[in-house]
Amino acid sequence: MAARAIGSNMRIQALLLLGPALVIYVVFAVFPMLDVIWLSFFKWNGLDPVKVYVGASNYVDVFTKDPVFWVAFRNTMIWTALSVVIPPMIGLGLALGLNQPIFGRNTLRAIYYLPVIIAPIAVATMWRWMYDPFFGLFGQILTSLGLQSWVMDWLGNRDIALYSAFGAYVWQSVGFSMVLFLAGLQGVNRSLVEAARIDGAGRWSIFRYVTLPALRTTLTIVLVLAIINSLKAFDIVYGLTGGGPAQSTQMLALWAFTQSMQIFDFGRGSAISVVLLGVTLAVVIPYMRWTQKREETTE
Amino acid sequence: MTSANLAAVQADAGRPPRDWVLIGLWLSLIVVAAIWIAPFVFIVFTSLKSTGQVMTTSAFAPPADPQFSNYASAWARGRFDTTFVNSVVITAIKVPLGLMISAMAAYALAKIPMRFGRLTLVLILFGTMIPFQVMLAPIFTLVNGFGLIDTYPGVILPYLAFGIPYQVFILHGFFRAIPHELSEAARIDGASHFTTFRRVFLPVSLPVLAALFILDFVATWNEFAMALVLLQDREMWTLPLGLSAFQGQFSRDYGQLNAAIVMTVLPATLVYLIFQRYFVSGLTSGAVKG
Repeated sequence: MAARAIGSNMRIQALLLLGPALVIYVVFAVFPMLDVIWLSFFKWNGLDPVKVYVGASNYVDVFTKDPVFWVAFRNTMIWTALSVVIPPMIGLGLALGLNQPIFGRNTLRAIYYLPVIIAPIAVATMWRWMYDPFFGLFGQILTSLGLQSWVMDWLGNRDIALYSAFGAYVWQSVGFSMVLFLAGLQGVNRSLVEAARIDGAGRWSIFRYVTLPALRTTLTIVLVLAIINSLKAFDIVYGLTGGGPAQSTQMLALWAFTQSMQIFDFGRGSAISVVLLGVTLAVVIPYMRWTQKREETTE
Repeated sequence: MTSANLAAVQADAGRPPRDWVLIGLWLSLIVVAAIWIAPFVFIVFTSLKSTGQVMTTSAFAPPADPQFSNYASAWARGRFDTTFVNSVVITAIKVPLGLMISAMAAYALAKIPMRFGRLTLVLILFGTMIPFQVMLAPIFTLVNGFGLIDTYPGVILPYLAFGIPYQVFILHGFFRAIPHELSEAARIDGASHFTTFRRVFLPVSLPVLAALFILDFVATWNEFAMALVLLQDREMWTLPLGLSAFQGQFSRDYGQLNAAIVMTVLPATLVYLIFQRYFVSGLTSGAVKG
């Protein structure tokens, strides 16, 4: 009797502690995720009381009648591929450098990381101004080097606008990879490095055969986070180009938003979201299983 | 390659007088740092120039006659008084409240045996990976259904929901590592879980809480996409929304636009510079553990 009373008391305590977070999380994060799947099967303008069930026709429309979708899809893939390679590579380079006993490393680290904490929309505003073809930073630097002919309408030229936008993203995201790599480098066995050095291994061999293998876990984490963060790219593109010129920098997250919130086609917008969600899950689920396994083995 | 080998050999022979590889490395780090900081210099300089000066002087020329009035004009025209207050109110409620409920949940999941504890944890961790940018429309529909568009709770509740996963993830890992003896001693003395949580777990986890607090402050302060959808009345706008609108309206007032950027970015930058060491520990404690 007493044991049961204690047991139920425990359960009440657990519920009271867990409840608030769980309820808010389920209602405002899990439910919208399911709702977006549900909405993708309806024709709806977001306000009408009536939603019309249309089966898979939103998906058919998106795939076959919406050329912008494929531009956005392609851009998202390019953006993701670039974000997996460029910021982590620079970040690793900086982290390896900062891991050496050099003068002013804390200051340097602070500088590289500073853009990470700035609002992406502010980064977009800054870079939009820097890309100004007349008075912006890049135009001025090129002009002062006598390279006027290289000055372009960085964000107005549809062949390069996506890559110009990505430049701003690199500036903002390198610091994040760098910090993760720096943390990973703390886990590299010092005595192993020392032993390799005594055996006459050069810096490159030490990096290649000691440091890099020890960074494998970190590398996986950095790359997965790079993929997920790049799929989220919204603010920076919204602020820099708004998807233009002529939709040439359109991305899936932004296009889903535009369809739902500006064109008021919630069905199509949701269908695009579901595609993006599917891509995300294809990365997230294997990754989560991998982390679970890793935790079990370290326990 | 040979120079690196040489350096290694020299290192064996006792400290070399100069390690050229290291010096080269240092110089390249300095160059990158200069590139990284250049945009800030450019923005601050421009923010202090009149439109005429912007057009006639070089980008890195310091403003000869600093126009501090740009800041006052940008503040008034960008309605920073409204957006600043909204940002402060939302951040001041969301961050402590979110940390509180996340810590409670993390404690329950780490220290109270529950039937679906493991499943609940996985469900919550899943949320750390899902971008809310994907679901802006359904979030709008949901908040609209509650009649909370253009209200503080309407934006704070979704913010809480998307902040919980990462915080629970970090705190759960931390709480689980706290030795059993510590909590059991309190429990045997008859303390409830609430008391154990408050008297034992919160005090020892202050450094982690501080790190999460600062990370969350910056994330909340900077959030744009959800605010864009949920706050449509300009009386309710936050700083990032105000900046975005300012850029749309006054993009040719270069000085004022840059002053607006500086004012938007400054609070987060200051918090970062003051609490720098917490940032790094907060970011890495969860993501990379050996």
